[in-house]
Amino acid sequence: MLSELAESKATGALKAGRSGTVYLSRGRVCYVECARTPTVEELLTASGRITSHGVKTARQTTAATADGGEMLVRRGVLSRGELQLCVLGATLDASFFLFGANVPKPRFREGDRHWLGIHWFFDVPGLFRECHRRRARLDRAWPSAELDSHPVVPVRRIRSRHVMLTALQWEILLNADADTTPVELARKIGRPAYPTLLAVREMAAAGLLECAESPAREKPPDLPKRVAGSAPRVATGGGGGRPAQSSFPQISGDPTDVNLLIRLRNALEAFQ
Amino acid sequence: MIGIEDCLSEAMAIPGALGAILVDHTSGTALATEGLPDPERSAIGLSETFRATLDGLALSSPDGTIRIDDLIITTDHGYQLIKPMETMWDGPLLICVRLDRDRANLALARRRLDSISHELIAS
Repeated sequence: MLSELAESKATGALKAGRSGTVYLSRGRVCYVECARTPTVEELLTASGRITSHGVKTARQTTAATADGGEMLVRRGVLSRGELQLCVLGATLDASFFLFGANVPKPRFREGDRHWLGIHWFFDVPGLFRECHRRRARLDRAWPSAELDSHPVVPVRRIRSRHVMLTALQWEILLNADADTTPVELARKIGRPAYPTLLAVREMAAAGLLECAESPAREKPPDLPKRVAGSAPRVATGGGGGRPAQSSFPQISGDPTDVNLLIRLRNALEAFQ
Repeated sequence: MIGIEDCLSEAMAIPGALGAILVDHTSGTALATEGLPDPERSAIGLSETFRATLDGLALSSPDGTIRIDDLIITTDHGYQLIKPMETMWDGPLLICVRLDRDRANLALARRRLDSISHELIAS
């Protein structure tokens, strides 16, 4: 649908329910919002340049003219370059999460504009290409999506004796509280979601972060379905059915496991 | 105060400039480019170069943390100048310029790149 709108040089907003909105101007994308990623407004308030009240007022006064961005630049909240970069970054970030998601059937509203106005253009195929590249980049960092949607927590003790972190990775480690998923973390620390996700995967690869609780392992076994008319099942094994959870891996002594571990260690070392 | 496109054209106006690119360092995205045949590959290569340098120098510096002002690489064909710019919401952006070895003046190029980055990011 987006490609069709681009071909027909449409101007307006393509709204996918509450999941997000793509703003188009003459067939080119000028801004994308996604419910899961921080918007330009959120990035600006998180950076401390403007209060959320300030954003609200600016939004109200420029809703009709759709030149809010110009006004913020004139007022000295941020420079033109910063505004363009902020819109650019937020759009790429939102596109990645919006285009990859299952969204409700989008509806196009002709002529709708975003209050910030137009500050950068993306052609639709280019935007898709960039999303694809970002997906591949994530998988190169750590080819498992397990951490993407689960709360993460730093490991208690690391395997190596020396760690190097980027500023973003540092912030993530400080805020990883075993309750927050990577995308929620991004919003919490006021950073775009994709770089946060990438940093989480890189730290997973380096063995610094893990799922707060590995859902596959710690999920209790499904109870057998009751058949109509059967009596409630009596607990068997005196409550000791499941071994107590231990933070240590189980030792099997199986040589194939050892080989696997050695290969895993080598792979991890190669990552560093 | 300049926008992204002016920033690139000013970088290309540096004497001896052969190509310029603005890269988002964390994602490796080519944000804008001029005079480079394959911006996507350049963006990945340059951000990896910068990251490797950061990591390597952090290991070799006594206190383990460093901040890079700019990076000058002399190659057989010319110079690569990489300058990180901190943005308020994201990791650094890199502005990178490839310079002709015979025509470029490194000291001038560094100064110009420094002032361009300050015009783009007001902070």
